[in-house]
Amino acid sequence: MALHAASKTSMLLGVCVPSLKRGASKFKIKRLELDMNLNMYFPKQEYVYAHDPSNLCKTGDIVLIELLPKKLTQLITHEVKEVLYPMGDMTCPLTNKKMTGIKYRDHIAAVNKVYGERPNAYNYEKAPPRGWQEDKKDFSHRETYIKYHEDGTEQPYGV
Amino acid sequence: MEKLFLPPVDKRLLGLLVRNYAFKSDLKIKWVRPEKIPSIKPEKSGDLSQMPSIDKSQYLLEFRRSKELETANDLVKKLFTLEFNPQKCTQKTYIKDQTDKVKSHQLDTESQEVRLARWTSQIRAWQEIMERFPRNKVLKVCLKELIEKRKKHLKLLRKEDYKKFEWLLEQLDVVFKPHPPKYHWITRKESLTKLTDKYCENLKQDRLDALRMKFEDEQPAFLEEKIRTLEFIQKEQESCGAEVTVTREEIDAIKKQLEELKAKRVVTEDY
Repeated sequence: MALHAASKTSMLLGVCVPSLKRGASKFKIKRLELDMNLNMYFPKQEYVYAHDPSNLCKTGDIVLIELLPKKLTQLITHEVKEVLYPMGDMTCPLTNKKMTGIKYRDHIAAVNKVYGERPNAYNYEKAPPRGWQEDKKDFSHRETYIKYHEDGTEQPYGV
Repeated sequence: MEKLFLPPVDKRLLGLLVRNYAFKSDLKIKWVRPEKIPSIKPEKSGDLSQMPSIDKSQYLLEFRRSKELETANDLVKKLFTLEFNPQKCTQKTYIKDQTDKVKSHQLDTESQEVRLARWTSQIRAWQEIMERFPRNKVLKVCLKELIEKRKKHLKLLRKEDYKKFEWLLEQLDVVFKPHPPKYHWITRKESLTKLTDKYCENLKQDRLDALRMKFEDEQPAFLEEKIRTLEFIQKEQESCGAEVTVTREEIDAIKKQLEELKAKRVVTEDY
């Protein structure tokens, strides 16, 4: 039995992907679909747009989205409910402690203290929120393309 | 059978109706093929600064704390400076300076930030050598692979710790651009198609903007006319003793809208 299409399910978990739409974010939704002939599940990806007027979601975040009772536009069918896991700012679900990769930030700080802290080392408390390098040195919030035309203007997203 | 016996069509007319393979656009779009930038160049690798010139009168790293060197004569001292040693020693000094900037503790040699700083300074040192010896193929390959490795690890750091990733970009003066979704050859036809699409989009937007401007210009005159008409209708209905459908609030709301519009125009003209 095939699953319902992602666009018909009331609540979904999606990964935010780069998009040019204003006031809305694009989400990649991965679901498993049963192949009746092989009796095996295969991943299937679908893309949906969700209403996000305050730009809560950033590229890579895992977000809970809800189906709107009525479509806002032809594209926007969902609404952002909650940002569950912001990318690059993980919290351990068991201890509620902040993590970096597979290590707790407390442990890293304790190790640094033992070996001798440096004044110019990276400090989590002083760090500004994500996005302060957007369009300056970090161009990952938009999709890049291969440069196909030289018109004399600067093309920050051209590779 | 009827299709077989169609009347002969004028060839010139057919040319107007059908777009065959020789169809060419009349738009005067000039396509300029972007020049290929080698992957080892700083423009492509994302390095915004180059290796700075290093003070060559410094001692070698290993002998900086030596007490014997302090008491040695000037000739011996000179032999232990960067000036009288291979370029490799200068590179080592540069790498150490760069890694010291981002170290998280005194003995830190293997954290992500230190490794990325080490690779970045190595890349910049090699880029400078490649400028002088462009035929050094072995170094070219090593440099390309190191640039790719750095990009991969920046990508991983971005996923693990976004704030540190941004801080490191600022510290190392490096630009991060993700890979495009698909790598493909750049062709004239495809590029012209994209440029034509862009031209059409701009044309459409310009016309929409012009229409919007035109309507906005007509708005005050239309509102004044609307107020006059509504007041006339109201008066006529009152004089004829019919049911009054136009209320005073409705007219006041339109007057307010007109005043706001005029005030907005005065502000924009001042600017």
